[in-house]
Amino acid sequence: MDEPEPVSNPDPDPLPAPPSIVDGEEHAVDPRSVKVARIIGIPTILLIAMLPLVSITIGWALGGIPNIVYLPLLGGLLSILGFSLWFTVMWTGAHHRHLRYRVDESGLRIRRGVFWRKVILIPTSRVQHTDVSQGPVQRSFELATLTVHTAGTEGASISLAGLEHATATRLCDHLQPDRDIDAD
Amino acid sequence: MQTEPHRLNRWSWLFIGAGSVRALILPAVGAVLASGGVLLARLDLLSLLFLVPAFVYAFVKQRVYNYRFTDSELVVRDGLLTRNVRHIPYDRIHNVALVRNPIHRLLGVTSARIETAAGGKPEALLRVLSMEAAEELRRYTLGEVKKSADSDSPTTAPPDTPLLQVPDAELVRLGLISNRGFIVIAAVLGAFSQFQWWDEDWIQDQDWLAFYEGARAKAPAWVGWLTESGTLAFGVLLSVVLILVFLVLLRLFSIAWYVVRYHGFTLRRKGEDLRAEYGLLTHVSSLIPIHRVQLVTVSATFLHRCFGRASIDLETAGTSEAGSDLSGQLAASGVATTRQWLTPIIEAGRVGELLREVLPDIDLAAVEWKPIEARAVKRIVTRVAIVVTPITIGLTLLLTFAPIPVSGWHGLWLPPVALTATWLIARAWVRRAGYALTDRAIFFRSGWLGRQISAVRFVNMQTVSMRQSPFDRRRNMASVAVDTAGAGKIGHRIQIPFLDVDIAESILLRLYDETCSTEFCW
Repeated sequence: MDEPEPVSNPDPDPLPAPPSIVDGEEHAVDPRSVKVARIIGIPTILLIAMLPLVSITIGWALGGIPNIVYLPLLGGLLSILGFSLWFTVMWTGAHHRHLRYRVDESGLRIRRGVFWRKVILIPTSRVQHTDVSQGPVQRSFELATLTVHTAGTEGASISLAGLEHATATRLCDHLQPDRDIDAD
Repeated sequence: MQTEPHRLNRWSWLFIGAGSVRALILPAVGAVLASGGVLLARLDLLSLLFLVPAFVYAFVKQRVYNYRFTDSELVVRDGLLTRNVRHIPYDRIHNVALVRNPIHRLLGVTSARIETAAGGKPEALLRVLSMEAAEELRRYTLGEVKKSADSDSPTTAPPDTPLLQVPDAELVRLGLISNRGFIVIAAVLGAFSQFQWWDEDWIQDQDWLAFYEGARAKAPAWVGWLTESGTLAFGVLLSVVLILVFLVLLRLFSIAWYVVRYHGFTLRRKGEDLRAEYGLLTHVSSLIPIHRVQLVTVSATFLHRCFGRASIDLETAGTSEAGSDLSGQLAASGVATTRQWLTPIIEAGRVGELLREVLPDIDLAAVEWKPIEARAVKRIVTRVAIVVTPITIGLTLLLTFAPIPVSGWHGLWLPPVALTATWLIARAWVRRAGYALTDRAIFFRSGWLGRQISAVRFVNMQTVSMRQSPFDRRRNMASVAVDTAGAGKIGHRIQIPFLDVDIAESILLRLYDETCSTEFCW
């Protein structure tokens, strides 16, 4: 299932309305979503790494930790940090490569997972409601997260991050059930 | 249509008061402790502090509490200072459970719990109603007034023919099968340990050695032989006897628990739904909302199977009151689940018949089981081998270097034994596991000693998914799972492992089509 790179439209401006999203074809989400994930992920990791690095450095500077302990420790921590950064960069890319969605008349299908793969089928007839949300980083890229809510348990809310905002909105409308669920 | 407000029964104060007193026991104990036990001697003060307020509250509550029926909802009015009016739409009402303990029965009243699917606690607790009022309540709230006008759902059985009755003999059997006795014993021990009896003076002061000597002097000769001829025989015999007594007690408790709780278990058809009635001391009459059933599980533990019996339970779910969340979000937050017994025990041969009667879509007779991949056995054995290998190495090293007179080589017994057992069990498990698709529902069965069959109607499926672990992909396998509303954390559900990936995909597509072509309603 290792299909080649993006099948879809990394269309920079959403103004010329693209053809219907309901085409029964597999799409990748916007490639800029990888950037978004990295912009969020890398500072997070740096922030987490700060605490041990700063504390051992203080310990060393104040003479609490001898050189012979400090240097290997520093080296080890830095290499863990390096690995984590590398992993984040790789993982966000891999995650994007393995994330596909497909919309047809009857519902949405999401395929995801790098090692543990999962295909989830969400029929429109089971959608309770849909949300489109945008984080601050996503907003600067005009991207959004679509969340589909069903009455299920494990699949009570299924999110698809990294869609173009316009696409997400249209998907949201498409999947939104027309039936009147809150009649009371 | 709107009825006059109804008051509670004139005995209500008794039960409301008793309820409050029960809630006040802990504060009262606290107060007694705080006063250094002085309050215990002043029962008049104690009752002034706790009993009087409780019953004043109860009288006031009885005066102000009322309820009335409109066309579509039950309106409950409560509160003296802050008036609280609660509207409970009939179609949100899951269940009207009537609970009667012996005092209720003596006075001819019942307490009624209005249960919607919102959370664990009842939406309203009408404490207490006369039997007629309770009947009226059920008639209105459970839609029987409306439904009798439509009468489009043909009732196959006249309403008073029970679908199922569980005689006491069956309950005795159930007591033997189940381990409920543990819970009773745990409860008894727990309560017992609260009293700290070992600190009591009369236990501390007792001369236990003298007591033992006295008992031995009075005992017949053969007991003397036992105690004289070395402590080991006595100890072993005593522990065997104690264990036997414990086991027998366990079963007796278990039997007693089931007989008391489920005496006269009867299932009756009530419109679309069923009503279960049971109980020896506390009589319970509860509604089983068949139209809210999401998942059905037939399970038989090993002991069930020894007796040729099984049990059936249902997972029901509904939405909470619409007002409870602002955006009308029905998902996640507003769904509550209950797993309840359709019947705690039934002859294995009658399972299909009862299910067909209750849920015609779930027809076990029409099921053609399809197997999962036989290759799965190898995978299970491999998994266990991966776990067993380090344990074996560890064990061997431990035996070699530990100061015990056992050769390290004995550690090597583990892999052949564990792997053979795994292989045998895995083979039995894989042979037994299977799935089936009928026109209306999907079935999955699994289990080795204890067996379970779960079924979900297509109408009740929410999302369907297929998963592949890296190991699945290596072997070209996948698993398929069906998500339902309000699935609990525990319990058997539709998760079919070890399918060939092509078969898994075809099942997935079939399920998707079925879900798309049906409409889910709460």
